[in-house]
Amino acid sequence: MDQSLIRNFCIIAHIDHGKSTLADRLLELTGALRREEMREQTMDSMELERERGITIKAKAVRLTYKASDGREYRLNLIDTPGHVDFSYEVSRTLVACEGAILVIDATQGIQAQTLANVYMAMEHNLEIIPVLNKIDLPSAEPERILEEIKNVFGYKQGEVLLISAKTGQGVPQLLEEIVNRIPPPRGDATQPLRALIFDSRYDAYKGVIAYLRVVDGKIAKGDRLLLMGQGTEMEVLEVGCFAPDPLPTAELAAGDVGYVATGLKSVAECRVGDTVTSAVAGASEPLIGYHQPKPMVYAGIYPTAPEDFLELREAIEKLSLNDASLSYEQESSPVLGNGFRCGLLGLLHLDIVRERLEREFGLALVVTTPGVSFAITKTNGQKVTVTNPGQFPDPSQIVKIEEPWIKISVITPSSFIGSLMELFREYEGIYKTTEYLEQENKWGELGQRVRMEYEMPLRSMLTTFYDQLKSRSRGYASLDYEVIGYREARLVKLDVLVNSVSVDAFSRIVPPDKAHDIGKVMVEKLREVIPRQLFKVPIQAAIGGKVVARADIAAKRKDVLAKCYGGDITRKRKLLEKQRDGKKKMKTIGRVDVPKEAFLDIMKLG
Amino acid sequence: MIGVSKNIALYLHIPFCRRKCGYCSFTSYACRQADIPAYLRALKAELAQRTNGESVSSIYFGGGTPSLLMPEQIRDVLDTVHTLFKVDKGTEITTEANPGTVDEAYLRAIRALGVNRLSLGVQSLNDSELNLLGRIHTAAEARTAVRSARSAGFDNLNLDLIYGLPGQNLASWRETLKETIDLNPEHLSLYALTLEEGTSLYQAIEENRLPWVDPDVSADQYELAEDLLEKSGYKHYEISNWAKPGYECRHNLVYWHNGEYLGVGVAAHSSLNGHRLSNTSNLDEYLAAFANGLPFSPEMDEEIGVGLQLAETVILGLRLDEGINLNQIQNCYGVDVVTTYRHQVEEMTEAGLLECTNGYLKLTPRGRLLSNEVFWRLLPEEAAVKTG
Repeated sequence: MDQSLIRNFCIIAHIDHGKSTLADRLLELTGALRREEMREQTMDSMELERERGITIKAKAVRLTYKASDGREYRLNLIDTPGHVDFSYEVSRTLVACEGAILVIDATQGIQAQTLANVYMAMEHNLEIIPVLNKIDLPSAEPERILEEIKNVFGYKQGEVLLISAKTGQGVPQLLEEIVNRIPPPRGDATQPLRALIFDSRYDAYKGVIAYLRVVDGKIAKGDRLLLMGQGTEMEVLEVGCFAPDPLPTAELAAGDVGYVATGLKSVAECRVGDTVTSAVAGASEPLIGYHQPKPMVYAGIYPTAPEDFLELREAIEKLSLNDASLSYEQESSPVLGNGFRCGLLGLLHLDIVRERLEREFGLALVVTTPGVSFAITKTNGQKVTVTNPGQFPDPSQIVKIEEPWIKISVITPSSFIGSLMELFREYEGIYKTTEYLEQENKWGELGQRVRMEYEMPLRSMLTTFYDQLKSRSRGYASLDYEVIGYREARLVKLDVLVNSVSVDAFSRIVPPDKAHDIGKVMVEKLREVIPRQLFKVPIQAAIGGKVVARADIAAKRKDVLAKCYGGDITRKRKLLEKQRDGKKKMKTIGRVDVPKEAFLDIMKLG
Repeated sequence: MIGVSKNIALYLHIPFCRRKCGYCSFTSYACRQADIPAYLRALKAELAQRTNGESVSSIYFGGGTPSLLMPEQIRDVLDTVHTLFKVDKGTEITTEANPGTVDEAYLRAIRALGVNRLSLGVQSLNDSELNLLGRIHTAAEARTAVRSARSAGFDNLNLDLIYGLPGQNLASWRETLKETIDLNPEHLSLYALTLEEGTSLYQAIEENRLPWVDPDVSADQYELAEDLLEKSGYKHYEISNWAKPGYECRHNLVYWHNGEYLGVGVAAHSSLNGHRLSNTSNLDEYLAAFANGLPFSPEMDEEIGVGLQLAETVILGLRLDEGINLNQIQNCYGVDVVTTYRHQVEEMTEAGLLECTNGYLKLTPRGRLLSNEVFWRLLPEEAAVKTG
């Protein structure tokens, strides 16, 4: 196909700003799907994605569009993950495009993460088409948001389209603008092959399916390919595109977007961001530097019942076939038995992994408090990396602790600045800058919108920070972050003892001056969530041998079935069986039955 | 034992009420009183189908509200029972009655029919609590009912009370207890309010229209009752039951001794020949089945294997203050309970819930309030269940 008739683009949008709805509308208007064929939000095909309204794995779809100039164009829409945990995947998607539609909710304005993604798109020289979505809603404030877009990105009146993805208003014009404003691909089909992998997933029949954008050269079935970053070699079993269902084609040529079935056994061999070339006489330079996204957040994942360990191992292995960012290592806990220390991109990633393990594999899991990776220098000069608070060395052996720091960017209406600044201080944030996004005379009722930058330890963000941010800004503030490196820290290990047994799953690394407050909150929460036992149960938080907080769970006094309804003994027995089965689902720690929810609740504490 | 008919208890369920109480999840129908004649025909048909000419030492009319039956209707049913079964001399014949439905003439009439034990659902002697429970009677009516029962000649009287009500404190419970003791019944059943899903009371608490019930307050109330009733000469012979010496309810003792009983009527349960059975809990289905002369078919028929039988015998027996007689169980099942349940007995003894003295295993006073913790541990791993 003539490259001048191809347009490759993605959609940049904040969660709930209407990316999936817009994608549906584009599919419908170009005839890729009829309205009645569509499930709501075709691009998000994982159940979890649809429920959460977020897109976890990028996908691509080929649209055929007859423009008003009478010519037929091939539009490749590449879906982007919408969450900050997946910013590496987003950046690779952007490299695969020449243009991006920037969707901004006309009722909400620019959000921090959108801003970060737009800057990233600008760095990669993408042509950006800003659109204001949801203009059909009564609460839309197009004028105010247009002003904001103008101030922040410099777009002029007329460059921004007003649309409603829901009703379809303005979407036909958007299609024209895609053709007119986004440049065609500029690759060379006669050069050695270079294609960028922007997503990959595992298929039980065809092995790993790589989603890629061909920049130079072409790919056909039977070709032998090489991944330049990872050195993986593979044979092309099938090439094709998504229309939107997989459609095998003869080849993919420069400018095209599609897929390759590789027969590889794990996505770890075929990671996002790598450049594909021919195994023989390939290109010399990759399209973009390849690196593996590093796990930033670590948590222990254990089966509630120790005998389910093998099942958990199998499940994690299967899951990781499809999730190259998930790393795992077997570990064993004195309290929880055998499990895995998992490395993840962020808290959402952890949540997704946990939910998928529970839902798709039917496992009951205990997940420990997430933490970061500490770099510790010991008195003997040895440097160790600690991802499990249980393995934190004794304080007497520690010379230096370093921990990862992040730069956060928050966009909020100015009326919440005070309470947010207080929040950032509480979470060890260091102020960097403030930037006003609107002009003074165009303020909304909550004041003008402001972007603030702080630096803080990643550790601080792993607990209630995000919930607090949302609640203190009544949901208006949005957050983006990036890791900026390691810094020295003063930290201690805080242990929690249930009935005098230290529960490694509850241990966390905290600043010494916060140990008491954090300990207090943890023991109080545990007192609330652990059911009363037949004996009094002390819950203690301690640093080394020193108790910093304590709460006692009083012994249970009453648990009795009274009335015998006309000799219905079966009913009594069923109730007792239910009680017995409930006990079985709990984790026994120091003779205390701890419901697995307790681990979740503690995880969510600040 | 051929030739000697076995002895069972007989339970007759009367599933009609004038109004459904706010806490009741049992099978009873308000607004279906017109069906009573048809129901009694069905009940008699069921009796005729299920009798094997057993001898009967207890007859119990439960509900619902059995006192909604006319004396002639009770006579009719009792006549049928006498025709079909061998009713022992001195058989305990109990009728449950709602204090709002009886007067002296009525009570005199049923006493004359041979009903010799009356169980009044007093529940509370505090009008606002009665209102909360959705009872149709007042405290004054309850007191009147007790006096009428005495005048009518009832010398074996049980009063039901409920504690652990939303908002009920120790003081108001003490009042009800003291006034109840003043009424001097022979027997008392005290039940902790069980909040069953689907009842209006449960709903009200879920929606925060009524306060949550603090289990520690209920425990205090229970202990207060133990204390006051002991001082007044009542023996705490079963977890929820107290009686003057010699007035223990024979019918309920059959349940606790894991004895055999035949339950007839809608939703009635039976325990016969190693099976536990239950009837349909749908009144229309029940009426239709017996109106059409269909053979009896239980909704549930569960064969209780030996392991489960032993567990049930132990669990039910532990409800009694004397506990279980270890020798008796050894003779009956050929096992030593303390060995079979060694782990559980040790754990529960250590926790102060069980004690073993003079060949009896029994709950401690603390164990009574925490009896479920003991009982679930005694269940066999997989109940051997066969449904037919």
